Amino acid sequence: MKVVDVHASVNEDLCKGCKTCEMVCPVYAITVGKREKKFKVEINHKRCVGCWNCEQRCPEHAVEMKPCDPYIIGTDVSQFDYNEIEALCRKARFHPKQLVCYCSGSRAEELAAAILSGAKTPDALVLATGVGAGCGIECNQPILRFLESAGLSFERRKQSFQWLGRTITVWEVPSKLKEDFPVFRFEEDRQLFDRIINASVEP
Amino acid sequence: MSGAPINPAAPRNSQYGVDPKYIVKRGADLEGMTSVLLNELIPDMPPVIYPNGRGPSVIKEETERALATVDFSKIKPGHRVNILASHHGFTFLGGEPYAEMLRTIKDVVMSETGAREVRLRAGLGMRFRETEEYIKAHGLDDYFEGKALGIAPIDAGIPIETKLGTLYGLRKAYDGDVIIHAHNSDVREVHFHRQVDRAVKPFGMSYARCETRSTYHMNLGPRGANFVARSIFESDFVQDKYGFSVFMIMSPQGVVNVDADNDLYALNDRTTVGGMKYYGKIISLFGEIDGCIAVLDFPCPVPYVFAAGVIYANMINANIDLFDLDNPLPPYTWYTETFYDHRGRPLIPEIPPVNPAIKMVVHNYAWTGYPAVFFAEQTPTIVVGEEQAKHFDRDPMNLNYMKHALLARELNAAMAFAYETTGTDKVIIFDGAMGGLNVSSSLAELLLKVAPSVCDRVENTLIPKWLDQRDIDASLLGAIP
Repeated sequence: MKVVDVHASVNEDLCKGCKTCEMVCPVYAITVGKREKKFKVEINHKRCVGCWNCEQRCPEHAVEMKPCDPYIIGTDVSQFDYNEIEALCRKARFHPKQLVCYCSGSRAEELAAAILSGAKTPDALVLATGVGAGCGIECNQPILRFLESAGLSFERRKQSFQWLGRTITVWEVPSKLKEDFPVFRFEEDRQLFDRIINASVEP
Repeated sequence: MSGAPINPAAPRNSQYGVDPKYIVKRGADLEGMTSVLLNELIPDMPPVIYPNGRGPSVIKEETERALATVDFSKIKPGHRVNILASHHGFTFLGGEPYAEMLRTIKDVVMSETGAREVRLRAGLGMRFRETEEYIKAHGLDDYFEGKALGIAPIDAGIPIETKLGTLYGLRKAYDGDVIIHAHNSDVREVHFHRQVDRAVKPFGMSYARCETRSTYHMNLGPRGANFVARSIFESDFVQDKYGFSVFMIMSPQGVVNVDADNDLYALNDRTTVGGMKYYGKIISLFGEIDGCIAVLDFPCPVPYVFAAGVIYANMINANIDLFDLDNPLPPYTWYTETFYDHRGRPLIPEIPPVNPAIKMVVHNYAWTGYPAVFFAEQTPTIVVGEEQAKHFDRDPMNLNYMKHALLARELNAAMAFAYETTGTDKVIIFDGAMGGLNVSSSLAELLLKVAPSVCDRVENTLIPKWLDQRDIDASLLGAIP
């Protein structure tokens, strides 16, 4: 769950049309086009999650984050059978109460609930939970792991740098690597993760 | 023996911190503060070349000396050469030593190889314009003739096939024919890297996309994750471009020397041993503090503010031995943070608590741009100044920070509350003071008392164990300054 209190705004006089803002947006809220020899930047404020990616990467410093009436994006976990939530979390190899986003404070159960609500793509999960609308870095793999565990595949947008792909987890490290590089203690870390995932769920 | 407080690092203009005009009083100016010199605590600290009164020219000379040992033959005159740097190096000593090392690498590469297209690609953490700020502040854009660039984890990626499958680097990091890895050796985030492949880590972080960084912090575990950087570095893609590495070798007192090598693993072994020798004692000494108020007072995000050359995250973790790989989980890593439930309770009993010796945190000056709510949740925290509180409220990574912190209008009031509430008069200030540590008299007394036995334990018991766990030849200890 995240409180959105700013929206992106573009000074089109400064825009050079490089489309960086469009490419770094996690929810595809920005479209850069051209109209009468001037670049036109459309920002869909219904999708903007106030993550600041566009403001931080615009090479022309043309994006400004402007305060908006605060509103909450999030998914209510209680609307679903918790057994379903729990099953999906464990399939994605997360404890339901485990934190998945340091910035929004969202937990695995919320990603599961968002998927049960119908979110089918990474951007839809961001919009439904606020996960991915802070640093935009660390929750990347939890989002992709949840989608895969729910059997959902998605096609990457060409006009985007984001959501390149799900990567390896500790459960998938080849045995030979574990044997060849004992200093990394893959197996002990896997066991630690398993203890976390299998811990009981306290209300 | 203790003396007057040492001048703290000055506040810095940055979009990630409040305007320096709001930092009206520093922790070092508080009544009852004193300083302890690192040499008094740890007599065998190596001599430093910077700061030494000679200015950055000594860094240039030392970098040239180190580069004289390097084989440049991979670089041809028509090649585009990328010097890969990181934000961390700029946080030392005002950033000028690292900037001078980068300038010198460029000059030497051009003169030795005839290459004209030498570019700077400076990676960063979560503050996507931070290295842009350093590039501008140190005139590196001009020095690199407009070819100095900050690169962020959400920028265009490039897939890299590794022993761990496909991982993703930053396209701009690898858009040259040859790459030069230019970094710093301090142990810094030892809670993450655990002094395993520390010199290799930027390949999995500063030069990597968010997918790779998330793999490191979410997918592979607190020790296994360190294989991410190695797998990228050893990939055919990176090896095809890799030229050599240049490191600014740090101790808690400053720059010891510059080291360079075509063989990154040889350099890694030296920095691993040096990190244990130079930093193991000060971090272990922090572990002896039985109760204190920590004052944060440095231009960096909360876990990265400095005291005695180490970061506050090392203090948060000082209740366990971070170098000991038998400890699976430090009290603070991003893995540990995820292992607390919605009520703030650990999901399993074996999660170690954050250092209980820190009774309260007075946040006098620290930046946003890093998710820091965990620290305020785990340790009572007072933020000084309404502007700073508002600054955190605006940061998308810290929207909940002030929900867990108190606000004091000024530093004296915050300290009065902290003294009264905690009952301790021991204070440690993370303010970047060089050569020593600003503390209260009571803490100075404790540190000076316990330092000899800590040094003896680290030297004779712990370092041999740490080296053995990493299969590193102990004779290397004698080969570093």
